[in-house]
Amino acid sequence: MKKQNSGMLSLKESRKISKENFRITKEFEKNKKRKVDASFYTTTMHNNENVIEFDDLHTFFFTDLGVVKSVNGISFDISKNSIVGLVGESGCGKSVTSLSIMQLVQAPQGQIVSGEIRFNNDTLGLDEEGHAKCFDIVKMPTDQMYKIRGKDITMIFQEPMTSLNPVFTVGYQLDEVILLHQEGATKEIAKEKSIEMLKLVGISDAESVYKRYPHQLSGGMRQRVMIAMALAGNPKLIIADEPTTALDVTIQAQILELLKDVQKKTSASILLITHDLGVIAEMADYVVVMYAGRIVEKGTVLEIFENPLHPYTIGLQKSKPLINSDNDDPLYSIPGQVPNPINMLNTCFFKDRCERCIQKCETGYPNEIKVTKTHSVFCYLYEDVKEEVK
Amino acid sequence: MAEEIKYILEVDHLKEYFPVETNFFGKPTAFLKAVDDVSFKISSGKTLGIVGESGCGKTTLGRTILKLYEPTSGTVIFEGQDLSKIKGKKMQKLRCDIQLIFQDPYSSLPPRKTVGEIIGEAVKVHKIVPPEELHSYVINIMKQCGLQKHYYDRYPHEFSGGQRQRICIARALAVKPKLIVCDEPVSALDVSIQAQIINLLKNLQNELNLTYIFISHDLSVVKYISDEIGVMYLGSIVEKGNKKDVFKNPLHPYTQALFSAVPIPNPKEKMQRIVLAGDIPSPANPPKGCKFHTRCNKCMEICQEVTPEFLEIEKDHFVACHLYDNYEKKDE
Repeated sequence: MKKQNSGMLSLKESRKISKENFRITKEFEKNKKRKVDASFYTTTMHNNENVIEFDDLHTFFFTDLGVVKSVNGISFDISKNSIVGLVGESGCGKSVTSLSIMQLVQAPQGQIVSGEIRFNNDTLGLDEEGHAKCFDIVKMPTDQMYKIRGKDITMIFQEPMTSLNPVFTVGYQLDEVILLHQEGATKEIAKEKSIEMLKLVGISDAESVYKRYPHQLSGGMRQRVMIAMALAGNPKLIIADEPTTALDVTIQAQILELLKDVQKKTSASILLITHDLGVIAEMADYVVVMYAGRIVEKGTVLEIFENPLHPYTIGLQKSKPLINSDNDDPLYSIPGQVPNPINMLNTCFFKDRCERCIQKCETGYPNEIKVTKTHSVFCYLYEDVKEEVK
Repeated sequence: MAEEIKYILEVDHLKEYFPVETNFFGKPTAFLKAVDDVSFKISSGKTLGIVGESGCGKTTLGRTILKLYEPTSGTVIFEGQDLSKIKGKKMQKLRCDIQLIFQDPYSSLPPRKTVGEIIGEAVKVHKIVPPEELHSYVINIMKQCGLQKHYYDRYPHEFSGGQRQRICIARALAVKPKLIVCDEPVSALDVSIQAQIINLLKNLQNELNLTYIFISHDLSVVKYISDEIGVMYLGSIVEKGNKKDVFKNPLHPYTQALFSAVPIPNPKEKMQRIVLAGDIPSPANPPKGCKFHTRCNKCMEICQEVTPEFLEIEKDHFVACHLYDNYEKKDE
């Protein structure tokens, strides 16, 4: 244990950790494969108006250097017909959150350890108390997940260049989604639907794009194809994981307009993951700010941008130069860097970089403090505020 | 003569064409015009920001200035010396004066060398300081760039992106340059780290009177750091001028669209957005006339035929667009 402080592990320690990890992950993998009754993974929603509810989700990576708690107890809801933005720096766990919904976390080392992801796809009806029945994705076995993934929950990835298969035509890849998920679909129906989807995402010569290979399309076009693919199964939730990061500003503007437009037309919810606060302000209705695997602040878009409370949120907003201001003062910068995710102490994770750190910050991770009905913050500075509101 | 010295760098009708097709005898028949007739001047201690979308030739421009690519035609005059005529040892000496910071701090540092070796290598080669002072000199530079002393013996893989970029900056500074070409130095970094690096670059500029050519696609960053701004589209500069002029009164339709496309982190402020249709045309086969006419919302007939000239519309504010052909006359 002594050597861990220097960041190095001896071979013996490393072997011990990997043996232990193997034991743990094997258990999880076994659970995923077993055949269980549907009642095992159905629960009820807390609020019928939500499409997804995260409840104390923990996703860990069991690496040879130790356990990385990528997602360490997050809870938030996505209501129907809304765009929720998830912001944070790289490595804060925003992508792992989205992959957890899809059960696509890199296995066997990455595992959802505990918590619930309740997904309401409106097909299971209500229980006696009037709560909508739903799936708990965490407990769902892999073969059941196939039916949801790509149909009810779809994903748009960051890199349109690498997420399309280069050896198949765009049309083939789009048809595949429809043939898999739509009952009784024939090739003709699939083609018709694919072309309709391509038209929906603003591709004017849909028929010729249908026959082309991904390398013949530009970055913006490929991202449109990805969006079309995500829409093909009539999803309830679209996860957009940094959909515009790899694109140019003018193309980004096109894609953002398109996403908004598509959201209105299909009334699906979007979970928008990005590090760009500008994109969030433009798109989202509700914002969740993450830092080092935990939520530091969440609220509606107006609350987060007009009345940011957590020092990290404030710092993030101040450190970005604004295009519409003429300020030449030195930029505010959050000192230090994101902490090493292995062996995090049980304190506020932001305390080493925080300028308003108080003594209480050493005493465990702060609890959620509800400032308003929709706005909550995880910071000891606002403990008094809570009482005032009450 | 007095005016010439005022500018540290003068770029005049610089062209950089890459052959993309050759005929049977190996003679190039088609070119990709990466940089097509670019001219600008920078005075000492200032920052020229170059913005544009990917593929518009920003990086190639930076590298051609450094003579990493031999220019096809045109001249680059650095402190009164024509770089294209300088060769061999003399050029090597001049390389000290012009340095480059790369975009990706993960791939631009040699993984098998320690930080001290990386920063000290060029110092040793160019004999900036006597060998016995090398260690203290490097430590000094590291301190200037916000790196701690004990990092000297560490390897690049032990550092995060922001720290690596600091090492890159230290490496560039170690040979006492006058001009630094920063090729997207912050685009691979997180927002909170970005601000640290931008502040560092600005402080160093004030301390050492450095001149920067700051290449980036992030308009807000360029606006913050630059004194002058050049907007590039398909290999040419379409608009150039003082930062305040260009941002307050963008003249070229492309600049206007580019600025309006930037999302603003304020939910109440929804900008009047000009969404450009279509993608950037291939630089190997650019459109005839004004290169922007295929995407322009103010396109006229003349734009499809005649290439617009790069004219000074207001003082120090240049634009290449047919909309302003008769601009001055109107003013009078």
